[in-house]
Amino acid sequence: MRVALADDAVILREGLSRLLEEAGFEVVGLAADADSLLELVERTHPDVAIIDIRMPPTHTDEGLRAAKTIRERWPSIGILVLSQHVNTRYALELLTAGTDGVGYLLKERVSDLDELAASVNRVGNGGSVLDPVVVGELVGRRRQGDNPLERLTDREREVLALIAQGRSNRAIAEQLYVTDHTIEKHVKNILGTLRLPQSPDDHRRVLAVITYLNSQ
Amino acid sequence: MTSASPPTKAKLSLLAAAGVAAGAGAIWLSAHQPPARPTEPGPLLTLLVGASLLGSGLAAWRARPDNRVGKIMVFTSFAWFAELLVDATPAWLNTIGLAVQALWVVGLVYLLLAFPSGRLQGRLDRWLLAGGATVAVGLQLLAMLYGSKAGLHCPGCSNNLLQLVHNNQQARNWLDLQRVIGAPLIAAIVVRLVVRWRRASAAQRREAAPVLVAGCATLVALGCTVVLDLLGDPLGSLPANVYFTLMATVPVAVLFVLLQRRLARGMIAGLVVELGGPSASVNLREALARALGDSSLQLAFWFPPERHYVDGDGAPVKLPDEDSGRRSTFVERDGQPIAVLLHDPELEHDAELVASVCAAASLTLENERLQAELRARLLELQASRARLVHATDAERRRIERDLHDGTQQRLVSIAMSLGLLETKLPGQTGAAQTLVRETREALTLALAELRELTHGINPPLLTERGLPAALDELCRRAGIPTRLDVTIDQRLPDQVETAAYFLVSEALANAAKHSHGSEIQVFASHRGQRLTVEIGDDGIGGTTPTGGSGVRGLADRIEALGGRLTISSPPGRGTTLRAEIPCG
Repeated sequence: MRVALADDAVILREGLSRLLEEAGFEVVGLAADADSLLELVERTHPDVAIIDIRMPPTHTDEGLRAAKTIRERWPSIGILVLSQHVNTRYALELLTAGTDGVGYLLKERVSDLDELAASVNRVGNGGSVLDPVVVGELVGRRRQGDNPLERLTDREREVLALIAQGRSNRAIAEQLYVTDHTIEKHVKNILGTLRLPQSPDDHRRVLAVITYLNSQ
Repeated sequence: MTSASPPTKAKLSLLAAAGVAAGAGAIWLSAHQPPARPTEPGPLLTLLVGASLLGSGLAAWRARPDNRVGKIMVFTSFAWFAELLVDATPAWLNTIGLAVQALWVVGLVYLLLAFPSGRLQGRLDRWLLAGGATVAVGLQLLAMLYGSKAGLHCPGCSNNLLQLVHNNQQARNWLDLQRVIGAPLIAAIVVRLVVRWRRASAAQRREAAPVLVAGCATLVALGCTVVLDLLGDPLGSLPANVYFTLMATVPVAVLFVLLQRRLARGMIAGLVVELGGPSASVNLREALARALGDSSLQLAFWFPPERHYVDGDGAPVKLPDEDSGRRSTFVERDGQPIAVLLHDPELEHDAELVASVCAAASLTLENERLQAELRARLLELQASRARLVHATDAERRRIERDLHDGTQQRLVSIAMSLGLLETKLPGQTGAAQTLVRETREALTLALAELRELTHGINPPLLTERGLPAALDELCRRAGIPTRLDVTIDQRLPDQVETAAYFLVSEALANAAKHSHGSEIQVFASHRGQRLTVEIGDDGIGGTTPTGGSGVRGLADRIEALGGRLTISSPPGRGTTLRAEIPCG
């Protein structure tokens, strides 16, 4: 699997590059900022781009914006965003555009070579990866062993699984041979049962999906 | 200003009696003798002018003993009455009358030139007065050495006792010279008065206007009379009567102006009474402005720590320059500066009044100064608190950035190296592999702690995305379901955002720990240069009024930014924190 890498800190860039090569990935190039990353991606068309969120010149969310650009221009390229911070908002912004081939990991996670390799592969194959700490933040801090999905009915879990596959309410209704209205009611129940925080509906949908994926 | 001792009542009474006698004599002469000259005031005008001069002069003398104006008017009144001696039958009285015939004009000129201070200002004034005296009296005496009553234009006079040589032509020549020099001299004096008036400050001009108008009108009428006299008096006694009438208005105008000032002095008594009242009801500046008759008066107080003057609110005040049209009068108490009065230059002529007012108000001034000093210190304190908050925030950001770019990255790279090492170790060295993995996991834990720490120092999302996004994340992470309502459409100053963020963070943590509530409402709105943040829970309430040490620190921070934090926590009815922070 071919990987492009962007991080402004040279020790992390080089370290990660060596780790990835050790794990058997082909590193097609390294970039120190968002612009050179976009050039690199355009030139090499990697399977996965691994991107640090904070990069020059403003050291804020350049990496995230570069990730969105890559998603728009080359939807087939997997994106794995690395962050030194737990930033649920950035994670949601990333996932709202689609959960396929997208990942968000804390930086220290990459020191575990097996986990790194698994994450890169999953994103490269169209799956999604979300750091457990970020998931914990997103779905609320719950007591150990409390799986919110257990409070859903079988039918609701079925609907949630279909939402996680990226289907719209209408598509789900057609597949289950019920009306749109019924599905809407199911979705409302799911969001309520999972006690997701107040926020726009598409965010809550993503959160529901994350909860579902997290429990798999 | 040197202060002359006030005249005794006896002295003034004596003068008044003498004046009344002189006046009565003059009127008797004027009424019972045929006029000695064609241009002579009748009894009514004589009385009007003389009484006006004498009364105003005595009143001014008594009111302002330090000011020579009163004395000059009294002198002029006697000179005025003495002129009527030309109508007296005894030759010696008649001769005196002829000699001092024009002396009262010298008095008038002296009065106008010396007004309002009572002193001549500069060499030009002295020359003009000396010239006037020489022309009015000197040339008159010269003419009297030569002329008989005919040569002196005084057909009704008795014999001139001063006559040494009988040469009426020579006498007429001297008298013509007196008029030829006198007319331009009068014009020069009028010009001098007008120029001086125009150069004065607005307040001075306003004050001196009545005297200037009356005086110049009289002098102009006198000048016309002199010129017409040279031409043989074609208009008869009309011009003389005009200027006699105008002359009567001069002393009244002088007295009017002086009494206006005396009115101001009377204000001091009022000022003392006013300042003795309940201090909260007194506006010191307005009281002083009233007492000094200068509505433009400004007050500034000495601020010892900075060695400059500040206004009542504690803001620094710049003292006026010499040529700025304002003057400063410094007020001291026990040798220490306490205040400065910034006023119209006109008040400089009334230094005595200013000094009295300052003395009367010095205790109150000192009190006000202490209050102004307090306010100035508060302003300084406020500014230094704001600077501290600013510096702290900048430092927080710097530390977070340093940790992110330095320590955190280095630790991550070490963790990566350990991860790499783990794969390089040969399969049979199980113990070493375990050790490396454990080390790496311990390092991961340390990184997690470091991450929490840096997030607490300066939340990156706040810096990068602003308050709404950061509050959204805070509420998302809250232990109790939290509803957020934000109306902020722009980035606010860093320290305002930081203060609001940490307030919400602390309030949410407190609510989760202590409130036993089931829901929290967070409201943040930016309107009219002011950020309002409110965090309310539906818990048990009853928090201490200060809200605990964490909230106390945040209240300090908010107050340092000029804002306010209020905590409402009635038992059983939840806790609400409300902060208002100015963003200007």
